[in-house]
Amino acid sequence: MIHAMIPVIKKSSFFAGRFFSRLATGIIFLILVVPAMAEERIGNIYGLPPCVTVSGEKVDFIFRIIFWLTGAVFVITQSTYIVYLIKYRRRPGVKAHYSHGNNKLEVIWTTLPTIIFLALAIYSNRVWDDIHREAPANSLVIDVSSYQYGWQMRYPGVSGKLSPCDVRQISPQNPFGTDAADPRTAQDVISSELVIPVGRPVHVLLHSRDVIHAFYVPEFRLYQDCVPGRTIGWVWFQAIRTGDFQLACSQLCGTGHFNMKAPIHVVTEAEFDKWLSTRQQKNAAAAASSSKLPTPKIP
Amino acid sequence: MSATTADSSHASDTLPGGHGHDSHSHGKKGILHYLWNTDHKVIAMQFLFSSIIYLVIGGSMAIAMRWQLAFPGHPIPILGHLLPPSVVGDDGALLPGGFNMLVTMHGTILVFFVAMPVLIGVFGNFLIPLKIGAGDMAFPALNELSYWLFSLSGFIMLASFFVPGGAPGTGWTAYAPLSSNDVYNNHTSFGQTLWCISLFVNGLSSLTGAVNYITTVITMRAPGMTMFRMPLPVWAIFITAILLIFAIPVLSAAAALIIFDLNFGTSFYRPAGGGQPILWQHLFWFFGHPEVYILVLPAMGFVSEILAVFSRKPVFGYKAMVYAMGIIGFLGFIVWGHHMYVSGMSLTLSALFGVSTMVIAVPSAIKTFNWMGTIWRGSIHYTVPMAFAVAFVSMFVIGGLSGIFMASTPVDLFVHHTYFIVAHFHYVIFGAIVFSVFAAIYFWFPKMSGRMWNPTLGWIHFWATFVFFNMTFFPMHNLGLAGMMRRISDPTVYDCLKQVQPLNVVCTIGAMGLGLATLPFLVNMFWSMFNGPKAPANPWHSTTLEWTLDYPIQHGNFPVTPTVYHGPYEYSVPGMEKDYLPQNEKAPAHITLEAH
Repeated sequence: MIHAMIPVIKKSSFFAGRFFSRLATGIIFLILVVPAMAEERIGNIYGLPPCVTVSGEKVDFIFRIIFWLTGAVFVITQSTYIVYLIKYRRRPGVKAHYSHGNNKLEVIWTTLPTIIFLALAIYSNRVWDDIHREAPANSLVIDVSSYQYGWQMRYPGVSGKLSPCDVRQISPQNPFGTDAADPRTAQDVISSELVIPVGRPVHVLLHSRDVIHAFYVPEFRLYQDCVPGRTIGWVWFQAIRTGDFQLACSQLCGTGHFNMKAPIHVVTEAEFDKWLSTRQQKNAAAAASSSKLPTPKIP
Repeated sequence: MSATTADSSHASDTLPGGHGHDSHSHGKKGILHYLWNTDHKVIAMQFLFSSIIYLVIGGSMAIAMRWQLAFPGHPIPILGHLLPPSVVGDDGALLPGGFNMLVTMHGTILVFFVAMPVLIGVFGNFLIPLKIGAGDMAFPALNELSYWLFSLSGFIMLASFFVPGGAPGTGWTAYAPLSSNDVYNNHTSFGQTLWCISLFVNGLSSLTGAVNYITTVITMRAPGMTMFRMPLPVWAIFITAILLIFAIPVLSAAAALIIFDLNFGTSFYRPAGGGQPILWQHLFWFFGHPEVYILVLPAMGFVSEILAVFSRKPVFGYKAMVYAMGIIGFLGFIVWGHHMYVSGMSLTLSALFGVSTMVIAVPSAIKTFNWMGTIWRGSIHYTVPMAFAVAFVSMFVIGGLSGIFMASTPVDLFVHHTYFIVAHFHYVIFGAIVFSVFAAIYFWFPKMSGRMWNPTLGWIHFWATFVFFNMTFFPMHNLGLAGMMRRISDPTVYDCLKQVQPLNVVCTIGAMGLGLATLPFLVNMFWSMFNGPKAPANPWHSTTLEWTLDYPIQHGNFPVTPTVYHGPYEYSVPGMEKDYLPQNEKAPAHITLEAH
């Protein structure tokens, strides 16, 4: 997984300034010196958290463009402003210049920002489209179900396919909205942790059982609301390194909102296959020993 | 144009806003004089003192929340004992549900009961008639009704703390279905219902105000006061009033639907009954985004004028300023979706709103450049109002630039609902709007109370506010980029946020300092109101009509309706001895004024 991180470093150092050099240094330090601790945040409070998805790197790239652009605008306008504030302070015998403005200047400082902002909007939307293109066919599909106040993930069972969800069937008795008559329903693997393989696209189907929650992982650079009564099916991502993270609800959802989290484990493909097949076998055995179909158990 | 204005100003003498009803308002004695009074100047003061009370209440809530975020679970000193039992536990520490209530009420109170009444209720009322040379508002009784509706809505809002279940804990944005279904809130709906009713009544107050401002500006300008001779604060409040007329009814309707869903079993926002949760967000933000401009436009208007007065220069690009405000007002209605890029709305719509959002940054940029143009080659007098106005520009630039991050659709995936956005809108709402309100109060209070303020206390207030404001809100950018979600009562439950906890402590110390920084302001206001040195009629050597009147300004304002000869900002006109030319004075024959 270390080789998968190299693109991050390249981009970081390319755009490095004081702000990002600390982040880049931190990342290099983590990779080279303490790989065992690589899943932990770097100990600085100035930079971004590590980015661990392919789409996250695209977000970071445009973030840096805007950072340096706005930074430059800030420095230029504010230094000019401060110079004016000092230079044109009241002095005896000096009268202010009488002027109601300058139309040529107005045209310039209208046109220039328009061009910059439109270019930024167009570029942003290209990245937006790129991030949201159709999930690849080899994606691992996971049903992510949110509720007051927690998360449940549903993985495909031995058949390799998730039991389909009908959002209208979601109820306290049927939290995933699946069809009990479907043989895949009993095979589905339910987990309270989001375990995903590194390097493989992961397509999450976002659901909510009650109010609006949000699927937010800062290290994935990813936020999406989970809306009750709907399946949000356009979110997918591909992790580029292993590590332990936390899934957070970032939409005020009630009293327990502040603590609505779930662990995320990004593991190697082999570790993931082992984890999932163990769970699948356990389910299959349970289904075989039971004559009637069990409802999905909450782990 | 001049013919119509002349006609309408004659009409103003016979309108109820004229001198006609002096007798019944002035006949009242004592407290009643201040409780029901149709004089726009008294109504402005009613709004001012009410909103200062709400500022203290809403600000204290913020400090209580900041305490919890820096020291989660520790009892809050002093404030812990003052907060209602629905919010704090027996030990004086915030409850998680109580934190959500404060989140909701802090936002609601500061937006609807501080920013709007101060900007529009106080200065709209005080300045419009005085600046356009009118005797009063077009509908004086409606004006006073607007104040009492506002007061009523405030009582309803605060009452929600004391009903079973306490105040709503759904955020000032009250996203459905959390807000619209009581099963998600421990089966209590009283607080949320009161919140909706309060906003409905508050909306009526805003609408009656807006109708009044628009009518007054259109029909009651003094002879010669053409639209393009109006001072910029009047333009700003005029455009704001138009925005109010279009935006407020949408919120009122949406809030009514929540009341129905909560109490009468309808399903406007309930998916199980065929409703659509996102509908609320569309309706709320269709109001909510213009609301941002409703707040910032008057602030921009005040600052434009104050910068010109203390730079002794005409406003740079007066017409560009007006057009920019008009464009902001229009574009403000087509950018609401940028609050919803990641709400589950169509991704194509998100992209479209991304474009309109980037475009609305242009008029703001134009205004910033024009403010810099205004001080350029000026003769800057550093007074307390000028200091706040100068700081406004910088804080607005920071708030504007940080907005570009959220405007970019992909970056919003990362920073949405984090402290980055909290930092951004506090730079706009506190850094820009509240700073401009302070500037405006220091600037116009001599006209309101007839007394000058103590400049030393004013400077202490300015520097303390400036330093502590930045200390409170700048680190929030870092917190947001570190991934700290907004509206969580305990950041330390997340592993990745533990190491940024020191920043939370910094913010909290800043917030407490910011709270204390308001004390010199309050002391200054209440002490100077009675004991300050008497203010001359025109202490800042300003050109607009309100400064031609001596304190106390009689009911009906102008003994003789003034005639206006030129634009509002004729400072440092070459060839003149004094460096300002009031609007009601003709320029000497040998001088030609530059077109603006």
